[in-house]
Amino acid sequence: MNRKPSVFDGLLGDNTVLSSLMVISPVIVCGNTLRSALALMYAFSAITMLSVLISSFVPRKIPYAVRIIVYAVISSLVYIPVRLAAQNFYPDSIEQIGIYFPLLAVNSLIVFQTEAKFFRMKRIRMIGSLVFYILGFDAVMLVTAFLRELLAYGTINSKMTGITVLTGGLAQPFGGFIFLGLMCGVYRWIRSAFVQTRSEADVSDK
Amino acid sequence: MYLINELIALLAVNLILMQALGTSTLFIAADNRRNLVGTALVITFFTTAGSAAAYGINSALPEKYSDLTLLFYTLTVGILYLLLLTLMYFISGEKFRDIRKYIHVSAFNCAVMGTLFTVSGNAAENAELNTFCSFVWAGAKAGIGFIIAALILTAAYRKLNSAKVPASFRGFPAMLVYLGIISMAVYSLK
Repeated sequence: MNRKPSVFDGLLGDNTVLSSLMVISPVIVCGNTLRSALALMYAFSAITMLSVLISSFVPRKIPYAVRIIVYAVISSLVYIPVRLAAQNFYPDSIEQIGIYFPLLAVNSLIVFQTEAKFFRMKRIRMIGSLVFYILGFDAVMLVTAFLRELLAYGTINSKMTGITVLTGGLAQPFGGFIFLGLMCGVYRWIRSAFVQTRSEADVSDK
Repeated sequence: MYLINELIALLAVNLILMQALGTSTLFIAADNRRNLVGTALVITFFTTAGSAAAYGINSALPEKYSDLTLLFYTLTVGILYLLLLTLMYFISGEKFRDIRKYIHVSAFNCAVMGTLFTVSGNAAENAELNTFCSFVWAGAKAGIGFIIAALILTAAYRKLNSAKVPASFRGFPAMLVYLGIISMAVYSLK
């Protein structure tokens, strides 16, 4: 049974990372400490929100390939002030994040999903939906970074917790792959259980 | 022995297994052999030609304007994207409709842009790598690395998508865990 798309889909039903597997490289490589995660969440939220909003004014008459380039150029321009601001707020994290910071500017949510998803909606609905897609990424990044930092380093936001049994490999990219794969599986399991329960409730209502 | 060493070196700098760049594109490419060949060739073109252009941009752009690097890389990839689309339109004729999807998927991809930044970063750390040939070779190696990772994933693709895998973990979650295990093996070779 097909259900009507909801503005909240980006957070749970069609999560940016766990369902669509978009923007997963920063989560895998940099999502191992809360400090890096906060810097990435700020950068992703600011760049994606502003870029998609500005890109929504690009005329549809322009050929598809040129539109894609225009979206990427817009996000590359938005990246400049976002990076300058980040150098004040997160000076240490910027160094750690390295190349993943500029890569956020050409993420598939901006370059491709704008056409496939957001620009098919009315502007107000698009903004609402975009906010929840961004929150979906932020939530996954936060949970991943919190758990990986706790289990790999025994710290929460660089503060010792007293945990003695550590799994250092979780902080490495291979740990990120495995952790994200497990999270994806658990997310799907919860989602399928939720959908099943809801459809059973729909049947009993009738 | 030389070939084994080269293979280990290629794996150790692999953009997917070590940096998780272009992973979602890899999942699409591993779906069938035709997609794999098409996507891998186009990504190799973009990483190689893009790296050559990145050398020019790095040489011409003063240090104080380094924040504009992404913008110039984006413009470069954009120009390559249009050039390749135009070229394929005139060369392939009716097949253009099939071929263009690989170009669309590959152009603005983390694997391509990540390669340009990685190659530039390596050159900034080691002056010996700051030559045109080194940039082109590093770009080509990134493309070959993508092909190797895609072949490794293709080998297990059917099993990871089979009914034997629990429904929640079938497909993407299983492929992520599989890539993680391969990545762990490669990590130990470094």
